[in-house]
Amino acid sequence: MFNRETWIEIAHTVTANPLRTALTGLSVGLGIFILVVMQGLGFGLQNGVQQDFGDEAKNTVWVRTGRTTLPYRGRQPNRYVQMRNEDEQRITEQVVDAPAWSGRRMMWGSTVGYKNEQGNYPIVGVEPDFDELELLPLKGGRWLHADDLAKESKVCVVGENLLDELFKQDEAIGAFITLRGITFRVVGHFSKNGRWGNSMVYVPLTTMQRVFNGSDEVDQMVLSTGDLDLEGSTAMVDAVDGDLRMRHSVHPDDVRAVRVRDNQEEYAMFDRIFTGIRLFIWIIGGFTLLAGAIGVANIMAIVVKERTVEIGVRKALGATSGSILSLIVIEAIALTLISGALGLISGVATLNAVAPYAEHDYFANPEVNLRVTVTALAVLVVAGAISGLVPALRAVRIRPIEALRYE
Amino acid sequence: MLALRGIEKSYPLAGGTLPVLKGIDLNIDQGEMVAIMGSSGSGKSTLLNVLGLLDGFDEGSYTLGDVDMSGLSEKQGARYRSRFLGFVFQSFNLIAFKTALENVALPLFYQKVARRERQKRALEMLGKMGMEDRADHLPSELSGGQKQRVAIARALITSPRVILADEPTGALDSTTSQEVMQVLREVNASGITVIIVTHEADIAAQCDRTIRLHDGVIIEDGRSGEVVEPTARGANTPD
Repeated sequence: MFNRETWIEIAHTVTANPLRTALTGLSVGLGIFILVVMQGLGFGLQNGVQQDFGDEAKNTVWVRTGRTTLPYRGRQPNRYVQMRNEDEQRITEQVVDAPAWSGRRMMWGSTVGYKNEQGNYPIVGVEPDFDELELLPLKGGRWLHADDLAKESKVCVVGENLLDELFKQDEAIGAFITLRGITFRVVGHFSKNGRWGNSMVYVPLTTMQRVFNGSDEVDQMVLSTGDLDLEGSTAMVDAVDGDLRMRHSVHPDDVRAVRVRDNQEEYAMFDRIFTGIRLFIWIIGGFTLLAGAIGVANIMAIVVKERTVEIGVRKALGATSGSILSLIVIEAIALTLISGALGLISGVATLNAVAPYAEHDYFANPEVNLRVTVTALAVLVVAGAISGLVPALRAVRIRPIEALRYE
Repeated sequence: MLALRGIEKSYPLAGGTLPVLKGIDLNIDQGEMVAIMGSSGSGKSTLLNVLGLLDGFDEGSYTLGDVDMSGLSEKQGARYRSRFLGFVFQSFNLIAFKTALENVALPLFYQKVARRERQKRALEMLGKMGMEDRADHLPSELSGGQKQRVAIARALITSPRVILADEPTGALDSTTSQEVMQVLREVNASGITVIIVTHEADIAAQCDRTIRLHDGVIIEDGRSGEVVEPTARGANTPD
């Protein structure tokens, strides 16, 4: 069945009508191409958002404050709600039972110097749990210890951009750098994705509060929700939100003054969105494949009809129904397989060509799920085989003499 | 060589059947050149198709050589067609996208002969037909007579015992018809049985024997040019 002669026969018939072959191949190849590209773009979008999420653990609650927009309990709007250490202490000790937490205070555009090199980087004051909450992959040295906070040590952990831009060839661990003119010792460095991630300089929150502004102010608070499900994390959000509003006299409807974001909920929302996008891609891809399969079926029906006399001649010359069937079915399979593979290759090539120019905060690595695509190709090949088989079965059932007389 | 006994054949029609062959008895010996004549609808082509295993029959028996052809499976029919029979058609029925050489070699493909051997034998056969120099031509590049020579070469390539020709000169002018008949006579002279369906008396006159059908029965059977009582040669008598 799969000998060289059969393939030569198929090559003859396929090349006998190059335009028809090309159009059939195009309908199949285009189907796979569209599926691959759409899938790649969908994955690219998902990867971009996931990469953005990748900065933070999914089971975290981020607490931020801002200016009030509504009057409440005799207080005018436009009042800044400032969190302090006592808020963090109260929330973590009395309001919620978080397995890990950290206050966060940030100073953008701070001058950082090393020997004769200097640059502007954000300095962030955090607590020991922060590396777990922010998912900071440490590449050398150590993270900030509880002892560093207790002693208000002047130590820091730097992102890899500082290694390239300030330290260059020098060893960073143990080196001394100046943060806003004050000397700190580097105890670790990390590397992570994201636009800002690798430019951060992390210092103990207590050190930052004492050295740079002498206050107990906290900009943000991050709480781990641990193993809580979405319902549990939502309850934590409500508890923290309610406590801060009550303590700082913030109107319950004031969405700007107290903002408590549940990563788990946001991730679930994005997951729903991407499930929808994936479904959309599959529906479009499925219809595209269906169109390709219908195209093949249509062409094969025409091909077999056109070749009915030829089938009669072949039978008269000694061909069995099986040999004719296999010839037509293998032709349909070969046609779908080759054009589908070409569509797959050109789809992957297109994505690879476009990928470097399409990197964005919300778009990254437009990969192709090869397993899914090959399955789609296999489905199309089976569809091609069936679409060849059905008219071929009809044709070989015709007696040779009827086939010979076919007009 | 070929023996038909009581062959009956009907085609289904809406609301009944149309009998086409009505109890045909016929013997054809090895090496005979036989013309089957008859008016349109007489059953002559159906008879040829039954003889060529292209069509089945409802009743009776058909023996080819020593083998009973009744109740053959589709695959067995294909094998016997391939081994014992060669076909020549009025409209040549060459495969349009194959060259003359490839067309002639095609029956050997179904006999699983190796490609090189197929081409060698096909080229030899085309040479015998005086068509060697047209081996690489597509059918569309050949004249009617050349096409029929290629078709005859294709029919002969498997060394069949019987050549069945359905109006082989029907699509040709008189000069070319004579050339084709000359080729068929030469084929017959080599010992191969040739059975020709024709409606042309001058073609039938060039055969050893003429069988005339009317309404599904043999009404004449004898040496070409003379009328012989059908029963004398084992054929049926008309109603």
